[in-house]
Amino acid sequence: MTEVGPVIRAVRVSFLLVLALTLQLGVASQLQVFGVQGDLMLLVAIAAGMAAGAESGARIGFVTGITYDLMLQTPFGLSALTYGMVAFLAGSLQDSALRAAWWIPVTTAAAASAIGVILYGVFGSVVGEDLVGTSLLQVAGVVAVLNAVLAAPVLKVVRWATGASDSSRVRAVYR
Amino acid sequence: MALSRRTGRSRLTLALLILTSIAVLTLDFRDAGPVESARRMASSVFSPLRGAAETVTAPVTDAWNGVTSYGDLEAENERLRAELEELQGREILEEDAADQLAALLRMQDIDWVGDVPTTAARVVAGAPSNFSHTVEIDKGTDDGVREGMPVITGAGLAGKVVQATGGRSTVQLITDPEFKVGIRILSNNRTGTATGRGPGEQLIVDTSLTPEDAEVRRGTALTTSGTDNSAFPASIPIGRVRSTKESTSGLTVDLMVEPAADTERLAFVTVMLWEPPS
Repeated sequence: MTEVGPVIRAVRVSFLLVLALTLQLGVASQLQVFGVQGDLMLLVAIAAGMAAGAESGARIGFVTGITYDLMLQTPFGLSALTYGMVAFLAGSLQDSALRAAWWIPVTTAAAASAIGVILYGVFGSVVGEDLVGTSLLQVAGVVAVLNAVLAAPVLKVVRWATGASDSSRVRAVYR
Repeated sequence: MALSRRTGRSRLTLALLILTSIAVLTLDFRDAGPVESARRMASSVFSPLRGAAETVTAPVTDAWNGVTSYGDLEAENERLRAELEELQGREILEEDAADQLAALLRMQDIDWVGDVPTTAARVVAGAPSNFSHTVEIDKGTDDGVREGMPVITGAGLAGKVVQATGGRSTVQLITDPEFKVGIRILSNNRTGTATGRGPGEQLIVDTSLTPEDAEVRRGTALTTSGTDNSAFPASIPIGRVRSTKESTSGLTVDLMVEPAADTERLAFVTVMLWEPPS
């Protein structure tokens, strides 16, 4: 894959965020499983960590969260804080993988999604929002499953946007 | 060496992002103007995109919701038919009572909820995330809708407008844990504060009733209190008491209340063009 310059990368990531936000608000919010909707924005942040590494992933995750925060009535910056941390975690987990199996990104996406939902609830409670309830674990479970199903296609799109090739992350581990 | 330098830089980046997030959260808590303006602008920009995405995918989402909710809808349909018959019988009696109440309140110079002008609105989008208890409606500032205005259904209070742009508004639902409303218990005229506890959950009402004088029966109706500087006009139905329990302090009684408005399946709502006193 040819190297992508920072400007093209920024344009692609911006396009990706607008697309993801439109799909989140217009589609994901209408398709619910057990009353829970998929969290596409969280998945984009996680995929950025897996595709571009912990550092770049955290930056993209932060911007993804801030973008999402603009559309929510929950405290501004809560999604940015959570998504940045979860993207960093996903990138670190992916870095520690010693081989490239198809199920590693899927399970990483599922685990990071569940952690992301729980972190969001906990951070929300710290800043005075009543987000930790009996349904938090149910939301975390459903979001983890939905995001695991969507992980492969979303990871492909995020790799294109960030200019990361499929094999570059694995090569970095073996180097 | 290079790896440890890279790890150190990554951690520094993460620390900076966490600090930035905390700074942004602090700004929001201090009600900084730019945050609200940015939200309003983003909402205006994304509304058409969101609407287009919903229109394009409507057949798929409708089919999905039809399949997953078919059983519930059938049961609800039967229940609603039975309720409708009962309500048709009560309607005539209540019309007469409402006229008498309106006349009495006018004599006392008190706002009567039935006199407040309203505008009907369609719910065009549900909650944007799993932790948001809001819906979006297709009426905004162009239609006279302002922040703080009560939003009702035929059954009772559904929420209030928290953000209004040109053609759309965001409504915070009564079930939102951040939603609070002053209530009046119809059986004894005592007041309290109802708070949401999340979708599908009953409201909790904090009252000054002690366990000794708590004679609130199951099924007792509650309405908005409409006391001085209240965020809502008086007499909007809130719901019915389902049970009572001791408050955490043990000194007073809390009421568990089933909201009258079904906020899980809102299709159309009415915005009361009534602004709370500043």
